[in-house]
Amino acid sequence: MKPEHVFEVDQIVAGYDHKTIIKEVNLVIPNNKISVIIGPNACGKSTLLKTMARLLKPASGEVVLDGKSIEKIPSKKLARTLGLLPQSPIVPEGISVADLVGRGRFPHQSLLSGWSKKDYEAVAEAMDIMNITKLANYHIDELSGGQRQRVWIAMALAQQTDILFLDEPTTFLDITYQVEILDLLTDLNHKYGTTIVMVLHDINLSARYAHNIFAMHSGKLMAEGKPSEVITSTLIKDIFGLNCQVIEDPVSGSPSVVPIGRHHINYS
Amino acid sequence: MNRFSGTKLKQVNPHIPKYFVIVLIVSFILLVVCVIVSLVFGSKMVGFDEVIDGLFHPNTTSYDANIVRNRIPRTIFSLLCGVALGVSGALMQSVTRNPLADPSILGVNTGASLFVVIGIAFFNISSANQYIWLALVGAAFTTVIVFGIGSLGRNGATPIKLVLAGTATSAALSSFVTAILIPRSHTMEQFRFWQVGSVGSGSWDSITTFAPFLVTGVLIAILTAPALNAMALGDEAATGLGVRTGILRFASSLGAVLLCGAATALAGPIGFIGLLSTHVMRLVLGPDLRFVIPMSAISGAIILTLSDVAGRLIGSPGELEVGVVTAFIGAPLLITLAIRSKVSSL
Repeated sequence: MKPEHVFEVDQIVAGYDHKTIIKEVNLVIPNNKISVIIGPNACGKSTLLKTMARLLKPASGEVVLDGKSIEKIPSKKLARTLGLLPQSPIVPEGISVADLVGRGRFPHQSLLSGWSKKDYEAVAEAMDIMNITKLANYHIDELSGGQRQRVWIAMALAQQTDILFLDEPTTFLDITYQVEILDLLTDLNHKYGTTIVMVLHDINLSARYAHNIFAMHSGKLMAEGKPSEVITSTLIKDIFGLNCQVIEDPVSGSPSVVPIGRHHINYS
Repeated sequence: MNRFSGTKLKQVNPHIPKYFVIVLIVSFILLVVCVIVSLVFGSKMVGFDEVIDGLFHPNTTSYDANIVRNRIPRTIFSLLCGVALGVSGALMQSVTRNPLADPSILGVNTGASLFVVIGIAFFNISSANQYIWLALVGAAFTTVIVFGIGSLGRNGATPIKLVLAGTATSAALSSFVTAILIPRSHTMEQFRFWQVGSVGSGSWDSITTFAPFLVTGVLIAILTAPALNAMALGDEAATGLGVRTGILRFASSLGAVLLCGAATALAGPIGFIGLLSTHVMRLVLGPDLRFVIPMSAISGAIILTLSDVAGRLIGSPGELEVGVVTAFIGAPLLITLAIRSKVSSL
């Protein structure tokens, strides 16, 4: 298991230019668990994740890791505890899978040190977990969307952090790959106790894979807790404005949202 | 972790580019060839014996041996200028994340030119020692302006905004250059020779003036290469990896300005070397800057020196300035790259 960390968001107000998007959010990330932030478009879920990952400086409030504001932690040191996979990272032209995954080792290397044995091991292990060892010498342009996403996650794994943030890791992927990615992240959480926080669009997959849900609306945190407690037809109506029924997912037993819409009658 | 044996790891982690050793060997052979042809060819061709005499027998005072001796500083100077321009191009392309970036595209050359022109026109400046400081200040000034304009608005200094800012600034500054030059025929004369770009004026003096800037710039480039590798994945991913992108951009740009400003001051604005050398290396070695940057230095030196020799041969009995030659080779390449690399997708 990874060491205990306390990651807190304290009275965060954040946004771009003069537009406030996050309005006074307080939360504590559960250690060694998978947390998912859900909410409608433009509710501030990505902005919240970016603020927590120090991509965005909050207008007021603090993001605190183990009692220290993340802005006061040296950036490389922080990057050894807290990893991030942004929504659309850039693929350098002609880069190979192994080279890309290897770039995750940056925070572990000093200005003049070359590649250590530890670095090679971390890269090999990350590729092994994501099942891409055979692809090591391929160019990223030759891979499918699902394979690419596995490469990016391997890059973040090579960073070997206790906490990992992912901004919509399944968006633009077919349902098969969405499930595959979420299964792999769950493996990671089970095997290493990595604390995972991600933004997801699909409520049902979120309910199935998350230990903990943060539900947001208009820059505010509306509810948090276990999916079975949080995902109710009232909450979905409140934050998404959608009439729905919540049933039990026959496979996982987690709550599952069935939308109603105007053309179908609610028989229950 | 022990299940990953050393040999297997090397197999799956080809961090040293496939053709690196071959490229290194070929480059060094070419480098030696470059030096020899640069000493042999010119408006007066000398034999190989004289080259040996000129280099290794200081007591031989034949006419040809003296010609060779005179060509030594010129050759060294052109090699060093090539190194500076190659590395500067690689840095600028990384900082702007733009495959077409070159000192000329970001307006740095024009900024350096403007300050040199002001020096010539208003302060009667005519020596390399004075040019270099003016050109550096001009290059730095332009970089600050271009970054300032490029950072306006949301998302900070994106590659595309930087290039637009560079192009616009460059156009504005070159109109100032023209405005200063038109009424002053004497300044025009002095400026014209400088402006075309020539390493023919390279002397031991210019080499010693150049050296500190070159060393500092190359050191900055080598030290920032790993962080630039991380920044190639985008600013957000780089921040996640612990890179402070603002500081990194500043440091790398400073290196680029030192290199290109100093080279411009001493040899005039020579275009396309940064573009040519870096692209050749990226093509064979891939995108890892820890290899691309040093190899761009070597290929820059080779390309510039060969261009200089070509200029001497084509222009015989006089010579064609190296800036004209590199523009002649570089322009078609720029067009090819623009088509190939889908610039619109930036």
